[in-house]
Amino acid sequence: MSRNGTGFWGETWQTACAVGSTMAITLKNLFRKPVTVHYPDVVRPYPDRLRGILALIYDATGEEACIGCRLCEYVCPPQVIKVEMLKGEKRNYAKTFTLELYACEFCELCVQVCPTDAIIMLKTFDLATSDRRELLLDKDRLHALGKQFENSWATGTKLREMQAPPKAAKVEAKE
Amino acid sequence: MRDVIAAFILLNAVVLIVTYLTYVERKFAARMQSRIGPYRVGRPHGWLQPIADAIKLLIKEDIIPALADRPVYNLAPIVFLIPSLLIFATIPFAPGLGLADLNIGVLFFLAVSSLEIVGLFMGGWGSNNKYALLSAMRGVNQIISYEVPFVLTALIPVVLAGSLQLSAIVEAQRGLWFAAYPVIGQLAFIAFIIATIASENRVPFDILEAESELVAGFRVEYSGMKFALIQLAEYTHMFGVSCLGTLLFLGGWLGPGSAHPVVGAAWFLLKALFIFLLVTWVRWSFVRIRVDQILGLSWKVLLPATLILLMATGFWVALRSGHVA
Amino acid sequence: MADPEARKVIELGYGGNERLVMNMGPQHPSAHGVFRMILTLEGETIAALDSVIGYLHRCHEKLGETLTYAQYPSIASKTDYVAAMTSELAYVLAAEKIGKIEVPKRAQYLRVLVAELQRVASHCLWLGTWCLDMGGALGGGATVFLYCFREREMVLDLFESLTGARLLYGFHQVGGTRYDLPEGWAQRCRDTVALIDRRLDEYEDMLESNTPFLIRSQGVGVVSRELAQEVGIAGPLLRGSGVDFDIRRDDPYSSYGDFDFKIPVETAGDCHARYRVRMQEFRESIKIVRQVLDGLPEGPISSKPALKSVGQVRIPKGEAYARVEGPRGEVGCYLIADGGPKPYRMKWRGASFSNLSILPHIVPGHKVADVVAIMGSVDPVFGEVDR
Repeated sequence: MSRNGTGFWGETWQTACAVGSTMAITLKNLFRKPVTVHYPDVVRPYPDRLRGILALIYDATGEEACIGCRLCEYVCPPQVIKVEMLKGEKRNYAKTFTLELYACEFCELCVQVCPTDAIIMLKTFDLATSDRRELLLDKDRLHALGKQFENSWATGTKLREMQAPPKAAKVEAKE
Repeated sequence: MRDVIAAFILLNAVVLIVTYLTYVERKFAARMQSRIGPYRVGRPHGWLQPIADAIKLLIKEDIIPALADRPVYNLAPIVFLIPSLLIFATIPFAPGLGLADLNIGVLFFLAVSSLEIVGLFMGGWGSNNKYALLSAMRGVNQIISYEVPFVLTALIPVVLAGSLQLSAIVEAQRGLWFAAYPVIGQLAFIAFIIATIASENRVPFDILEAESELVAGFRVEYSGMKFALIQLAEYTHMFGVSCLGTLLFLGGWLGPGSAHPVVGAAWFLLKALFIFLLVTWVRWSFVRIRVDQILGLSWKVLLPATLILLMATGFWVALRSGHVA
Repeated sequence: MADPEARKVIELGYGGNERLVMNMGPQHPSAHGVFRMILTLEGETIAALDSVIGYLHRCHEKLGETLTYAQYPSIASKTDYVAAMTSELAYVLAAEKIGKIEVPKRAQYLRVLVAELQRVASHCLWLGTWCLDMGGALGGGATVFLYCFREREMVLDLFESLTGARLLYGFHQVGGTRYDLPEGWAQRCRDTVALIDRRLDEYEDMLESNTPFLIRSQGVGVVSRELAQEVGIAGPLLRGSGVDFDIRRDDPYSSYGDFDFKIPVETAGDCHARYRVRMQEFRESIKIVRQVLDGLPEGPISSKPALKSVGQVRIPKGEAYARVEGPRGEVGCYLIADGGPKPYRMKWRGASFSNLSILPHIVPGHKVADVVAIMGSVDPVFGEVDR
């Protein structure tokens, strides 16, 4: 137990002081409010930009916004999106749209490239199930999720606008 | 017959108290770490958690390693548990409320509680596991080294009171608790706490079961009810030594209104809880130290210190009684 | 992998004692990840150490060849997942170096900001897990662990409101960054950083003269200056042994030259010296964060047009090696580009991979309990080691 010592009594006094100050700090924390919350009963406020589970939404006219262009399928790094296009007269639709949520990385690249802001992320991540097949989201499920939970801030247009704005960037660097 | 019933009641009471001591420790530790602790079972404070843990351990599968030494492996938790429960026989919770107030109470307590080391080593050896063996070797080293200062600090109140009988030691503290005696009392109490932590394998001296190195030490191959018995034995022993500390240093059941046995027992339990929480507070504040450093602390620091304290106490008692003729 | 030198058994004068070969195996509470150490023990003392890695190999370098420059940065976070921002930065810096792409000033400052905040978060995790290993999951180590994670969670909350993710961000892209600061973020960042500064005082109080902590960390795992330079380690390991080298100052990237910060160096070379280096790095990072927030310029956050399709970013033919000072050392990325949307070859220099090679030199001679102290102060992250 060697230390660059100040003699036996000096070391003993130093040890006693150190022990005392450590225990004082733990005692101080005993009376602080806990930082944990009881999760299912108490939910902390999520930030606007939370990248939660994915969903498909409808456009302003009430129709499905997805045009089946497959840009999200090509950009997805783990390739979890599979889309088939259905050609229509005025615009195209997605015939099938599957997203394997169990392999999704939640990187938001699909949201970024979507030209019609059809695919977005939601402000929730709580989709634990006991059967992995329930996490293979098909188009109906994705639309249902979009109606059920709150949308996150990011849509394709907003992200692209943020990254290459026509004018100067946002003005809150100096607060 | 009356003794058998009393023993039965005592055992059950002790086991129940010890079970809820684990809960108290978890809540205390959680608050110290800015978190909540057991919560869901028995909302909102999780007070049914110990029951849930006990039921869970009861229904778990009992896995025995194929190459384990069966008789040794199976007997180890029992040999570990029996001394922990036996020591409660000599502890008087209140005047007249003790099972067997032996006139060699302290000696019996210290002797029987040292038998735990046999169970510990049996567990480590019978598991046929290198980690368990390493931990058992460290354990034997550590506990044997700390028994000596432990005994010496326990002897200081004996010398001050002039008797080995636990109720007589408490009676001798009617005027002033032994822990409050100037200098000798405080130093003896601190040395007692340090020796307690070390012989109980609590952090900072728990190199024996160092979760982050040896993954539960000698307990690593135990599961289900045997593991429950080992946990019970550890906490029972801890509670037992807290009770001993209360009797030896903090005046046992003495306090306002302690003539009545129930109030006396309440004071006793309160003081035992205080010692337990003190040890827990130390546990949750410090990192553990290495085995050679632990042994160095015992042989080079604690043993000489307690010897000197004992001699000083002896001198003081001799001086005191010399003047009283 | 294990050189013949590491297999050499050091005679310790025990003479005739039985040697025990023990595995501190891949599943172990304090191996900091999946890492197998084969220890040859004599009693409690270690005679030799052999290490086995590869349990977390996920083919990052092949992924770099199959994913485009637009897709890979969010995967790059997964190498050093504890300090994701610095890992992504190495990749995009390499791509920008080959393509000679100018990054706007605001993006450079944002990169510095998140890198330094990430350093604070990573060192919080380091301190917590190191004390946890030394002190036990049911003991004082857990207390320090939870306090450090309380602070780390605040930084992660900041990152969550900035990017939307808490651990693996996808914040960087070739040409700049993907996200800009939201409303009120700068003020919250200042408040958080001030709070962490105050809490750091508390930790230092708790650990600085804490006897059990000191006797566990002083004199343990001494890396001499010559050994440090010979083996090729970097980061706090190097600076704890007296070598004054930091990429942020000696090979500046992303406008680090605009900021004023000190590089802490200690000479003792033991675990305690590395602890002191990292604690001082906390303070220096907080200083840099404040300077960035004060001087953040307006402007675009990316010089390339916004990502609209997967093959949009094309880097002309060339090769470059870019390195950043991660919390663990030098994280480097070597890219060979061939004009298309994907690199031809990508190689990661993992900081922890090189740092781990110090173990066979310094561990023999110590006790088993010191192995965890040394591993903690080396602070490996196995995503970087195995990639």
